[in-house]
Amino acid sequence: MIFNSQTLPANDNVNSYAFCMDVRGEAFIQKGKMIAYYGALRFESVSAGAYDALVRQSFNSPLYANDFVVATGQGKLILGDRGNNIDSYDLEDGNLTVRSANVLGFEPSLVCQESTVPGYLTLLGTGKFLASSNGPVHFIEPPVRVDEDALLGWADMPSPSYRYDYGYMRGMFGMARSFVGGRSSGEEKQLDFTGQGAVLVQSSEMGLVGRSNLDDVIARTSSLQQNELHQLLSVIQQRLQNR
Amino acid sequence: MTAFRLENKRLLEVTLQNERVMARAGSMVAYDGQIKFDKSILGGEGLFGALKRRAGGEGMPLMSSSGTGRVYLAENAAEVVVIPLQQERIFIESSSLLAFDDGLRTNTVFAGLRGATSGQGLFTTTLEGYGQVAAISDGTAIQLEVSPHDPLFVDPDAFIGYKGDVRQEFVFDVNWKTFVGQSSGESYQLKFTGQGVVYIQPSERR
Repeated sequence: MIFNSQTLPANDNVNSYAFCMDVRGEAFIQKGKMIAYYGALRFESVSAGAYDALVRQSFNSPLYANDFVVATGQGKLILGDRGNNIDSYDLEDGNLTVRSANVLGFEPSLVCQESTVPGYLTLLGTGKFLASSNGPVHFIEPPVRVDEDALLGWADMPSPSYRYDYGYMRGMFGMARSFVGGRSSGEEKQLDFTGQGAVLVQSSEMGLVGRSNLDDVIARTSSLQQNELHQLLSVIQQRLQNR
Repeated sequence: MTAFRLENKRLLEVTLQNERVMARAGSMVAYDGQIKFDKSILGGEGLFGALKRRAGGEGMPLMSSSGTGRVYLAENAAEVVVIPLQQERIFIESSSLLAFDDGLRTNTVFAGLRGATSGQGLFTTTLEGYGQVAAISDGTAIQLEVSPHDPLFVDPDAFIGYKGDVRQEFVFDVNWKTFVGQSSGESYQLKFTGQGVVYIQPSERR
């Protein structure tokens, strides 16, 4: 099947791993995810200041301003993400929180805000957005506990909390802490979801590489006192020595 | 002519009857019959071709498989796309090449200054004649048509190859903000004009 600008799907998947956006006006996309386009499109960094009004209306996450670009003009834009699966989601006056590295693009009718859970973005309002996943996405109804590496996001729900296995907890309190750490199953910490809504899980534990975690830590250091910063420094030095 | 068949999306089966097929070195995962594998030192291009390839940084370690039987080829579980050539010429990134018919003529051509920025070398590989080419793609490959009134822009990292009467240009979308470290991440693209087909993969080359 050979596609051209007319036969390419409009706002639909080209195959499981590529999505074609029919851009008429403006759209937010993650930096570096454009693989091809037809038509007259321009790409401008969100942080460049050229689309101030647009950013004020729909992009409310300074931490991720460098990770997104605004595509403007008229054309068919194909997005891909390292051969990962791509799906589109339609929100109708709803909210959906997704791991920031997996948010590939969204319409400006949505508002993008930082989630209180580090490394996640919340999209609010009505419109379409795109997310990638390693393997197909599964929707699970709470109550459910999910491995953090397999979690893609959650919809219409309060934020999750961490749930630790009892054996791991006991190890933390007792003298046998290091001993327990040595025989951990790697599954002693999960995210616990309760309430009404849906949890999105990818069929793999492969996290996508993103700078968001580091950015988040760096951003949070601005609220620390001087003695706290020194404490953080010594923790980091200790971690580096243990590597 | 050797018979290329996709055993599944990620595995290529080549049936040989006293024939020879060229493939990326180390891509054989299984075979049956009487088949001999040889390292192809000159890549079927003679001494001058091999030197040009080395000088251009378009390295392509190849092996030749000859005999009678079936050879199964794969590369890192990437998807395989078989492209038939009928007295045509295909331009293909050597990093995307899996196997090709022994009867095809290979060459390297200057591909412009993109090598300096995308790290793909200054040269690209061409295959010409009558036969089949197997390319690897990270995710299902997409075929996009280029026509005179419909030019196509492609991210250099997603580019696999093209065939037909197509012209390739390097387009820099540079503005002053790019220089102060606020690049949009899409500031250079390949522009294709003319008439033909461009093959891309839904992934940025790792």
